[in-house]
Amino acid sequence: MAQTLHIESRGGRVGTPLLEVQNLVMHYGTKEGEVSAVDNVSFTLNNGEAIGLVGESGCGKTSVALTLLRLLPDNSVIKGGDIKLDGESLIDLDEEQMRRRRWRDISMVFQGAMNSWNPVYRIGDQIREALRLHWPETLTYQEETDRIGALFELVGLNPVTMERYPHEFSGGMRQRAVIAMALSCNPKVIIADEPTTALDVIVQDQILRELKKIQQELGMSIIYISHDIAVIAEVTERMGVMYAGKLVELGSTLEVFHRPRHPYSYLLLSSTPSITGPRRKLAPLEGEPPNLLNPPTGCRFHPRCPFAIDKCSSEEPGLVEVGEGHSVACWNWQEVPEIGGLQK
Amino acid sequence: MSETMADAGADTQPLIKVENLRKLFPVSKSIFREAHDFVHAVDGIDFEIAPGESLGLVGESGCGKSTTGRMLTKLTDATSGQILLADEGELIDIASIQRSHMRRFRRRVQMIFQDPFESLNPRRTVYDTVAESLTVQRIGSVQQREERVAELLHRVGLTPPEQFLFRYPHELSGGQRQRVAIARALVIDPTFVVADEPTSMLDVSIRISIMDLMLKLAEEFNVSYLYITHDLAVARYMCDRIAVMYLGKIVEIAPTEELLSNPQHPYTRALLSAVPVPDPAHKRERIDIKGGISKALNPPPVCRFIERCPRATDHCRTSDHPEFTDLGDGHFVACYNL
Amino acid sequence: MADILTPPTERLDGFDPSAVLEEPLWRIRLRLSWRSFRKNWALFSDNKMGIVGILIIALFGIMALAHPVLMATVWQDHLEGGKNVYDIRAGADSIIVTKTIVEEVTDPVTQISQIEAMFLGTGVSIPEIGDTIEAPLANPAPPVLSGVDHPHILGTDPFGGDVFSQLLFGARAAFLLGAIAALSSVALATLVGTIAAYFGGVIDTLLMRLADLVILIPLLPLLIVVSGFWNVELTMLGILIGVLGGLGGTAIILKSQALSVKVKPFIDAARIAGGGHWRIITRHIIPNVLPLSFLYMMFAVTGAIFTEAALSFLGLLNIQQSWGIMINIAHTQGYTLEGLDVWWLMLPAGLSITLFSAGFFLVGRAMDEVVNPRLRKR
Repeated sequence: MAQTLHIESRGGRVGTPLLEVQNLVMHYGTKEGEVSAVDNVSFTLNNGEAIGLVGESGCGKTSVALTLLRLLPDNSVIKGGDIKLDGESLIDLDEEQMRRRRWRDISMVFQGAMNSWNPVYRIGDQIREALRLHWPETLTYQEETDRIGALFELVGLNPVTMERYPHEFSGGMRQRAVIAMALSCNPKVIIADEPTTALDVIVQDQILRELKKIQQELGMSIIYISHDIAVIAEVTERMGVMYAGKLVELGSTLEVFHRPRHPYSYLLLSSTPSITGPRRKLAPLEGEPPNLLNPPTGCRFHPRCPFAIDKCSSEEPGLVEVGEGHSVACWNWQEVPEIGGLQK
Repeated sequence: MSETMADAGADTQPLIKVENLRKLFPVSKSIFREAHDFVHAVDGIDFEIAPGESLGLVGESGCGKSTTGRMLTKLTDATSGQILLADEGELIDIASIQRSHMRRFRRRVQMIFQDPFESLNPRRTVYDTVAESLTVQRIGSVQQREERVAELLHRVGLTPPEQFLFRYPHELSGGQRQRVAIARALVIDPTFVVADEPTSMLDVSIRISIMDLMLKLAEEFNVSYLYITHDLAVARYMCDRIAVMYLGKIVEIAPTEELLSNPQHPYTRALLSAVPVPDPAHKRERIDIKGGISKALNPPPVCRFIERCPRATDHCRTSDHPEFTDLGDGHFVACYNL
Repeated sequence: MADILTPPTERLDGFDPSAVLEEPLWRIRLRLSWRSFRKNWALFSDNKMGIVGILIIALFGIMALAHPVLMATVWQDHLEGGKNVYDIRAGADSIIVTKTIVEEVTDPVTQISQIEAMFLGTGVSIPEIGDTIEAPLANPAPPVLSGVDHPHILGTDPFGGDVFSQLLFGARAAFLLGAIAALSSVALATLVGTIAAYFGGVIDTLLMRLADLVILIPLLPLLIVVSGFWNVELTMLGILIGVLGGLGGTAIILKSQALSVKVKPFIDAARIAGGGHWRIITRHIIPNVLPLSFLYMMFAVTGAIFTEAALSFLGLLNIQQSWGIMINIAHTQGYTLEGLDVWWLMLPAGLSITLFSAGFFLVGRAMDEVVNPRLRKR
């Protein structure tokens, strides 16, 4: 009985590897040709850890998430690589086995999920539906209600409101309920894709704090996906920077922010305005992201890179370790200055 | 002409002077029934913008900032109040402008929209879009218009112009579209441009180049911006002064750095404390405010922020919405408990 | 305002705007239209349905064009009793003779069967054997594929008119009617829909109530009544169908499209540029509604042809010749029940009506996929 009220992460001991992504390659087949949306992406998520994937739209960050959950559209092909959850490979599972793991082991807070509630059902009943489909045992109605109440309390909603319909919730409340739903089956991993993008700053801040609190209290493992590096800075411990389908830099959030080694991370950080620190001229990132139908040869960033050398256009750099747990895919990473170093 | 006006005294004569501007939207009105309920979208605001100055209008969604912008460009008629625009030494009241003055007004005030995918007509080429105001107002010959459009494309960084003149919007990237929108706004040499979240739909890496372009062009064309945004960090980059709006009221207005370093209104403080900072080492002091944004439907005459205010007193509950208190150096705040 | 057209050159870092365009504007625009036509054609022709539709329409187009050409050339000299046998009217007022009603017809020139006589007669009573009756000289002749003296490749109608010639002429009538109905209906619907959407308020309410009213009026019965008062001809029928169709459902559909265009920021931008209502409607809203209008034009053709066929069948129209009239003649002359024995009387006309409508419908469906990208297959 009490177990149904217990909200936890079913992952292992904090600090041990939980989700390992190795050399993941995923393509979309289109009329014009193959789009290499995810190219050779590897990272590890440890138990109880929050990591972030950051990049512009179209850089492949959402595709990574969809590949992890195998929620890909029909025209996509996983070309290679492996995804291991608790040492078990997810890539070879058939659709039925994957379906059972999807909500129970890995759950997701989708971009714009707060608008995905079905308007004709009560919020609580929609979470109940998820419990019925994915909770290992059959629960009584009362047990379900109790658990939903506990989930609501955890995410800062009054349990009474589970009887309400989506239109009676504000945007922030709906987003909290989405988080409650993601937590409903005690998942091992939560993937949060732009969890606060459509929300106003004050609500965004409340939700991010709530998520961070939950993550720390439950020892939950979360992958945050966002285009907003400020959000990533707020909530993650480690982060990866993606560009044009590739992971170009991976390291602790503190390290990457204070001493980015990849020119793209560097420019991304330098071109983000902030309300703190000195008011400075920001360094613009020239050009536009490449067309992934026909990505540039060598390093995919070289056409926009102010630090590019001859080698960059011909040979593709792999991730190299540049510090403890900090790796970067760049031939010329030594030249990347400290933040503010390019300013006049 | 705008140069001479700027010389005439930027400190003394504002370019735009808004006085007690209001916009009420009737709820459930029909031709058979008078409306009794009104959404007070903009509820009596005052501000001034000097020639060449950029004012940031910051607030959460639904606070009335976009409605203000639409009234200033006469896309929406004001319910009451005055919007005075200085033009060649005269003050024109935009709110009650004559039809005969409309053309002249349209030459002075332009707008840049939020969504570059929706603000360009998909069936018209870049040339048609940028030349629109010249064509409508019958300025110059076809040859002269072509040259002016080419010049504008060059100046907004769409080079070489001949490659862009006859493209359709779907053949351009988001950043390029927004450049076209900027060229369209500036082609007629306005003195005042309302920019409604012009970078919020763009990718981070494109955003800065568009903001830099707008700053550069503001100087070159000597235009003033009313820069509407929800993002304080962007407002800081773009604006000389910032006005913070809450439920149809301006609660605080101050020079940018003053507002950020010395916020006085509890709402401004809460807003500032909630902005995520791109620095993981940064520890911020949280200021919690209660609940969500209240409804602007028939609001009581007291302070609009009262339901969420951590420092509301009995005085606040019994008095009208506070007037501005002048804190000096152009810092004004509408709160009883400073 | 000349000052804005002569910019301070120092800001342009050597850039000369006058050197940008060498070609005149109209030529560039022509090239652009051609390019966008080719692109849309590529999308359209991806769809086999549309190609089939185009081929069907082209076939009828050839038929319609062939009639006057044949009349002026190959068919010119086929005279019989002073009249051209291929003239669509020749049979209709062909010689009426007095025939005797007999049980077994041995000489079709002077005798007529009881059943045929019954259909010819006005009353309901069965004509007596031995009575006489005024009847057309010729009976429908079956198709003869060869032979100079009886050259009707699709046979003749009960009055001796050449069915093939009538079929070709009918295609002409169908195109004329379809074009008039479709153009008037869609022009009206686009205008009404756009104006209602753009101005809103009282204008919108009035126009939309009018549309509701038109939808409530059943088209066919109304046209039947109208044909009782006036002599309805092909052009008038086209305009009537057009106006009634255009004010009704199509106007509402095009209004909803115009509404979704009206709220786009580029309409605000056009207002800020100083454009008046008329300019915004014609340059900004209508061009974005037009693809959908074209679509409904195709469907309007189908509707008009069906309506015409029904009215002609009922004999309510004053039309020289059409597919509907062909069926009407076969019916009124009492051949409806003879079925496949006299297939050439109704089958060619019926098939033409069906195919012609199907052609436009298929083109419409294929255009739908060009206009609504959501329907496209990846």
